[in-house]
Amino acid sequence: MNDAGEAIRFDHVTKRFGAMPAVDDLHLSIRPGEFFSLLGPSGCGKTTTLRMVAGFEQPSEGRIFLEGEPVEKVPPYHRNVNTVFQSYALFEHLDVKDNVAFGLKRRKVDSNDIRERVKESLELVQLTGRERSKPRELSGGQKQRVALARALVNRPAVLLLDEPLGALDLKLRKQMQVELKGIQREVGITFLYVTHDQEEALAMSDRIAVMDRGEVRQCGTPEEVYERPEGPFVAGFIGISNLLPATVENGGVKLPTGQRFAAPLPSECSEGSDVYLSVRPEKIWLDEREDGMVSVDGTIVERVYVGTTTQVIVELSPGVRLVALEQNAARQRSDDRWEIGDRVQLGWHPEHALVLR
Amino acid sequence: MSAVRARAAEPPVEAAPAPARSKPPKPFDRPRFLPVFTGAFFIFMFAPIFIVALFSFNSTKSLQRFEGFSLEWYRRFFEDESLRESLVASIQIATVTMLAATALGTMLAFALVRARSRWAGSANILMLVPLVTPEIVAAVSALVLFTQIGWQLSLETVMVAHITFSISYVTVVVRARLAALNPEVEQAALDLGATRVGTLRLVTLPELWPAIVAAALLTFALSFDDFVLSFFTTGESPQPLPVRIYSAIRFGVTPTINAIGTMMLTVSALLILLAIMLPRLLGRRESGLGVLVGRETA
Amino acid sequence: MSEQRFATTLLLPGGLWLLLLFALPLGLVLAASVGSTDDIGNTIYGWHPENYKQAFDPLFLPVLLRSVGFALATVVLCMLIGYPVAYYIARYGGRWKHMLIALVVLPFFVNYLVRTYAWVALLADEGLVNGAITNVGIRDEGIRFLNTSFAVVGGLVYGYLAFMILPIYAAIDRMDEALVEAGKDLYGTPWNTFRHVTWPATFQGVLAGSVLVFLPAVGDFVSAQLLGGPGTYMIGNLIQQQFLGADNWPFGAALTAILMAFLSIWMVLYLRSAARASREAAL
Repeated sequence: MNDAGEAIRFDHVTKRFGAMPAVDDLHLSIRPGEFFSLLGPSGCGKTTTLRMVAGFEQPSEGRIFLEGEPVEKVPPYHRNVNTVFQSYALFEHLDVKDNVAFGLKRRKVDSNDIRERVKESLELVQLTGRERSKPRELSGGQKQRVALARALVNRPAVLLLDEPLGALDLKLRKQMQVELKGIQREVGITFLYVTHDQEEALAMSDRIAVMDRGEVRQCGTPEEVYERPEGPFVAGFIGISNLLPATVENGGVKLPTGQRFAAPLPSECSEGSDVYLSVRPEKIWLDEREDGMVSVDGTIVERVYVGTTTQVIVELSPGVRLVALEQNAARQRSDDRWEIGDRVQLGWHPEHALVLR
Repeated sequence: MSAVRARAAEPPVEAAPAPARSKPPKPFDRPRFLPVFTGAFFIFMFAPIFIVALFSFNSTKSLQRFEGFSLEWYRRFFEDESLRESLVASIQIATVTMLAATALGTMLAFALVRARSRWAGSANILMLVPLVTPEIVAAVSALVLFTQIGWQLSLETVMVAHITFSISYVTVVVRARLAALNPEVEQAALDLGATRVGTLRLVTLPELWPAIVAAALLTFALSFDDFVLSFFTTGESPQPLPVRIYSAIRFGVTPTINAIGTMMLTVSALLILLAIMLPRLLGRRESGLGVLVGRETA
Repeated sequence: MSEQRFATTLLLPGGLWLLLLFALPLGLVLAASVGSTDDIGNTIYGWHPENYKQAFDPLFLPVLLRSVGFALATVVLCMLIGYPVAYYIARYGGRWKHMLIALVVLPFFVNYLVRTYAWVALLADEGLVNGAITNVGIRDEGIRFLNTSFAVVGGLVYGYLAFMILPIYAAIDRMDEALVEAGKDLYGTPWNTFRHVTWPATFQGVLAGSVLVFLPAVGDFVSAQLLGGPGTYMIGNLIQQQFLGADNWPFGAALTAILMAFLSIWMVLYLRSAARASREAAL
């Protein structure tokens, strides 16, 4: 029997709608107190997974365990999880305090306790004073906080969040990300967070499961997933990846441009096989070198100024492009140095490059 | 049309002085003709009703000249026991129809929106057919049924016929509202510990309430005013009020009929008013009219 | 219980009611339509399709044709009256748009019978209109309005006008203003603008209104009974007679079936046309 060392455990869970699997052989565990994100594009199965944990869908195969207990016979209203929905799903005919108190009332908690806990919960999400407001009087961000308070007040073992910040504008979203992370640390509840925004996942999570078409491509810390992506999908989905098609040759790789250099090869790569060479843009140096760096030449075809940095897009050969990132530090601005059409030399340390299949 | 659409998509040009045209624009589209026509239309629509009401207060039997104000014809109505009975009968029928049709229709609406079984599709068609069936066809088939099973015509047969015809109206109104509800709200209720029945009671029905009330009042009004169905399925006595009006008109026009008509008119007006005001009175943002037409705020 | 099963159970009360008390009776009518009567007028089920043939007898055929004719006339008149009103309210109504449309609908909450009666009272020999005519001196005696085809059609128009106005209003309201302005640029005269821009854009609304008026009008018998006479009988009156007077139920059932079939054809045609139009609009 499994101990409560795992908050959630997916045991070879598959969910099919018709013939197509929405979730395919999901097999992982989430630790108590962890901020765990399911990250992927639409249709990858992350929301379906969440709904299975909540109890709105049943797995076609496999089992789900909450705090060590199997839950396939447990309806949503008996599970020790609560959900924060993307559309907030507030009860329009109830005011804020009744919304938040809803779960507690269903469990017949004593009304004095209810009052106390609702007050606490609203303080936690910084909505004290809005108890009597109706949902229609609140802004999007405020509604989201009510939804959060309503879920947290029940002190569930796991909090499920389905793209809760999707409808908010950028600034508010960034602010809420920080707040959510803080709240999670404070209450210590396991968060299972679904998002398609990889920056969000990287910023908030202890661990991320990157999903594509029902499968988990990689599960690891933000750093692992970013710096050591396992495969072109993860490399491409998280950040800008610069995937260059190449072939394995002589223990290194050869680009279509003809250049060859050393790179760490994964074990199963045989001579001549097709691979991708992946380098993160911030690891690429422009017209500067250190010893041991690999370098290639190219022509600048585009510069994209995004405030803190400038993305410099360099074409190595027709159709083969790399994106490099330059900090717009005070001492040198990129447009002082390079123009479109300039020839430039790109360099990186070989260990910063990844060979992916 | 595509030329027009392309033209409409062009950015608006700076306002230029109206170009001189060789002929003056035809009066058809000019705002002068239309408002006059519309005004005449409204007079045409309201005048007869107004005149009926007016002459119900006439002191003489004349329908040509208004001699003076009097409540004589109303007095005659209320003194006539059988007419009183008919009024009561109409109200009874409408009340029972309202309650039964609303209950059945709401359940049906729920099933049609939520159930995904193969019966739902056929049930949907079955529900829609009464809406497009002419009343006389429905009336005739009801009559044939009652005769076939040996049920003597009475108030109850009228009720049954009314209920049958009203269910679809309720279903359509309630279903529209139900389909517009955010399913995540109900999921939230389940998630927070409410059972399915509890969710229904605490979340779904309160959200659905304006639609149900609007449908109920609509049903009452339709039943109260109904003639064709009642005519074919009524017993000897008491007969619903519209049937009495019909029989009376066959005999000839008298101001008593004006009085009955005006009273029915008043009841209908009050019901409509109630339908519009009730949701607001109960603290909702929407009005009944808006719900019937399918909007959040009217 | 799962939600699916719960919802499916809810299907039963309403569904069974409609099945047994609506669909089944319709079937009975069809069965009766090929039946016959015994001496005292009870219906005997059997196979007597000649009931249908009788419907097209020279005695009755004019009634059927007249029903269609009256209904068509009603549709045309409703269109001629209703379109300008709908147009005016939709395009020039401004803030009062909703109130005006509510005013259009308001008379229709008055009992149909009472509304028809209003015209009976007005047009009767001793009614207001004749009173005005004799008083003002246009004629000595007054005009016989009632018991004419005009009165019946007039009553039908008065009865169903709102059903024409509402869909047209909705169509015009939904129409993009810019289209009309652009059309004015392109086509010059208001008439051409109407013909090439407004009419095609609102055609579906007109069609919907026409169906909503035509279908009930064909089966109507109140107007013909109260505002007309035996010479203006429609199929509804005929049916009513068979069931509540002549006690020839099989024949009445056959007439009913013919009416239903006739209307169903138009209903199906309309639905196909509307479906095609919305498919094209989506492209």
